[in-house]
Amino acid sequence: MRISKKYLFFAISVLAIMSLIFSVCFAEKTEYPITIIDDSGITVTIEKQPETFISSAPSNTEILFSLGLGDNVIGVTNYCNYPEEVKNIEKIGEISPLNYEKILSLNPDIVLAYGGFQLKDIPRLRELNINSIVLEPLNLNDTFRSIKMIAITCGVPDKGAILVDDLKKRVDNIKTKVANIPILSQPKVFVGGTSDTIFTPGAGTLFNELITMAGGQNIAAGLSFWKKISPEFVAEAEPDIIIIPVGAMNQEENSKIKQMICARSGWSNIPAIINQKIFIVNEDIFYRAVPRLVDGLELLYEIFYE
Amino acid sequence: MNKSFTHNSGYAHWKKKAMLIILAGTLVTLLSGIICLNFGAVSIRPGEIISLLLNSNNYDKTKSLIIWQLRAPRIILGILTGAALSMVGGVFQGILRNPLADPYILGVSAGAALGACIGIAFQYITGYAFASYLPLFAFLGAMLSLYLVYRSSKISFSANSTGLLLSGVAITFLFSALITVLLAFSRRELHSMVFWLMGDLSAANWQKINIITLPVIFGSILLYFSSLDLNALALGEEEALHLGVNTGKLRIRIFLIGSIIIATIVSFTGLIGFVGLIIPHIARLLVGPDHRIMLPIASFLGGIFLIFCDVLARILVSPTEIPIGAITAIVGVPIFIYLLRRNRQ
Amino acid sequence: MEKSNHFLTLKDICFSYNGTNKILTNINISIERTELIGIIGPNGSGKTTLLNVISGILKPDVGDIFLQNKNINHLSIEKIAKLISVVPQNNWVTFNFKAGEVVFMGRMPYISRIKGEKPEDYQISREAMRKTHSLSLSDKNIQQISGGERQRVFLAKALAQTPELLLLDEFTSHLDLKYKYEMLNLLKHILKKEKLTIISTFHDLNLASIASDRLLLLNKGKVEKIGNPVDVLTEKNIYKVYKVKPILINHPEFNVPQVIM
Repeated sequence: MRISKKYLFFAISVLAIMSLIFSVCFAEKTEYPITIIDDSGITVTIEKQPETFISSAPSNTEILFSLGLGDNVIGVTNYCNYPEEVKNIEKIGEISPLNYEKILSLNPDIVLAYGGFQLKDIPRLRELNINSIVLEPLNLNDTFRSIKMIAITCGVPDKGAILVDDLKKRVDNIKTKVANIPILSQPKVFVGGTSDTIFTPGAGTLFNELITMAGGQNIAAGLSFWKKISPEFVAEAEPDIIIIPVGAMNQEENSKIKQMICARSGWSNIPAIINQKIFIVNEDIFYRAVPRLVDGLELLYEIFYE
Repeated sequence: MNKSFTHNSGYAHWKKKAMLIILAGTLVTLLSGIICLNFGAVSIRPGEIISLLLNSNNYDKTKSLIIWQLRAPRIILGILTGAALSMVGGVFQGILRNPLADPYILGVSAGAALGACIGIAFQYITGYAFASYLPLFAFLGAMLSLYLVYRSSKISFSANSTGLLLSGVAITFLFSALITVLLAFSRRELHSMVFWLMGDLSAANWQKINIITLPVIFGSILLYFSSLDLNALALGEEEALHLGVNTGKLRIRIFLIGSIIIATIVSFTGLIGFVGLIIPHIARLLVGPDHRIMLPIASFLGGIFLIFCDVLARILVSPTEIPIGAITAIVGVPIFIYLLRRNRQ
Repeated sequence: MEKSNHFLTLKDICFSYNGTNKILTNINISIERTELIGIIGPNGSGKTTLLNVISGILKPDVGDIFLQNKNINHLSIEKIAKLISVVPQNNWVTFNFKAGEVVFMGRMPYISRIKGEKPEDYQISREAMRKTHSLSLSDKNIQQISGGERQRVFLAKALAQTPELLLLDEFTSHLDLKYKYEMLNLLKHILKKEKLTIISTFHDLNLASIASDRLLLLNKGKVEKIGNPVDVLTEKNIYKVYKVKPILINHPEFNVPQVIM
């Protein structure tokens, strides 16, 4: 039998389209009801796909939008500021204590909540029969897990998988580059602040993890979590690079901050100050467990090596 | 305000007077509570509230939940808290003969605060449900400070009030210092600790109301029966003894009952300030210093005052809530100054 | 327990703070009903302490006090309050009670905390104020009347307590001259009418001499002399206790010694 090329072409296209439809129809959907053990250790059952979400943490808001679910978000906290569209969404108030009345009145299908200091408010939320899952990512891997958990919960597991894969690729890219750099060539890094009292991130913080991954040596790596340190500690450590995270990026403010750091008494011999290696960064991409963390990672690598 | 001793007629028997006050006070408080139900982050019209109160079955589930599960317990907690703080504040002012005394001066609240902060610091160990154990931590802390104050002032209980006051102040300072250290080392839990210390009615629920109500009301009634003795104490330590008042026993009684009431309340609401200090004074300005009249008036005033402050706290910058301790001071001070000036004339 | 015919008996009373500072030593005295006893002596001789020991708020180290054959040490302060009332030297009140309310507090030993007062409690209070000429003050703020007026109010309170024994500490110190004598007359009158017994400390020897049936002269916590004014206020006694040589004359009206500087 003489199979025409046209015929073959047609058959293959149909097959391709069918498998595409297949993957779209079946793979993209979550099978409800699902049971998840969230970060508070509680087993949560979600009966059907949630249509409306409230996010009670800026990190969850960012993740929802990065999964393309922004249109379904009906309530966010006062502190949610990314992306821009969040401005127009109804505010539910503080991260803690939660305004239960407001949350109840918006009638969400699910609340994507936070652990940490919001954890104590969650039992009440559940008492009021509001479906909630708690996410408490403490490092980069946890962040990827949160993205996947939110994606599965909200019915878009595929988007979650794709996003995480993409982020992991970028992370691996940096890791490979850093693997070739001997430790002694890695710059010493100090993360400071704009106030006279110095709080710096040590082991167990997101920031520390990113610094290490990007090939830096955090002078506070020996401390755990956020610690108040003295200016002498910094002077003694002689960091090569100083990073100052700020809330909002502003040219004028930034140069003033750099001046202030340089003028700090006792620090004149620090390499970072001598070589003018002071970098002001947006704190959100380092403090929040969100996809933008990887942007932060890449920014750090750039600061360290380019 | 009191009828003159020179006139025979018109001086109502104390019991009748007290009954009248309690009846009127309860009615006004109930009315205030219903008014306060109207306010919150979500607007619910009075008409809807009335139908909800009368017939909560066939109604909007969400609004019903908001009224019954959120606002109602919050208001009841507010009434109990305001009343208890005012009653104990008034009684402590009487027992210490010190107009600057407040219900927190004898140390129990600092203990509760330390207990709560330790509970918060341990949340990562006790796990998810730690929030429901928090009042227990606070109460245990309160009992510890109660014990310490009792022991260190025991010798001077019979002598005078100074020993009691100094012990209370000393223990408060000690525990506050420990709390400061805890705060300094707890950046993760700092937010929760500070918010607990500021005082908050928003976590109220029916379970908590059930735990608090009986001890607080029962304790307050016991305190009330010491009114006459407190009146005598105003004349001085020796004078009260000459009138047959066992001042040592009175002090122990008031200190223990008052402290347990405060420990119970504070374990659930945190440290709401100003109410316990100022409301007894406002009550005195209105009805005089006779504790038998002043204490019930102060209790009702305190309850009503606190729930209206709570309304302001939750509607002014809704959905964010202003800490209630700030509202009580901002609203209370002008009222107090106004009454002071009116009293001078 | 000895049976005694006397109204009030102090037997071997010794008192000290902490066992080291001896304030009263070996006080032995007997007092009869409706007597007005004046306790005199220099500052620091133990006058006020003796009063406080008699009223039961200070417990003696050694010795007993019998009031109508009842041992005061064995009575609760509630029971003592029905027998003994006190008008103190200092009368500051922390809160702004009305004078009438302060007098009413004198009825406290008789008022049930739970049941409350009876109409006769108000009658007795009013009567006490009438007797002390303080009825007109009854609606005034106790913190705002004069020291002398306050003393009268406190006397009314002590009378409202319907005691058997009335103790006064330097009662006339704050009173105007007019009231000094008026109050002393009043006390004498009440003494006889109500069958009260009165013990008062005096700073003023002359007033004590006029007012008292008997004087008790204290010297460094010991009884120097107890007896009629004539027997107590002698040059020898006064010099021994006060270290001053006095000039004594006889009061023309009352026939008692008066000290002239």
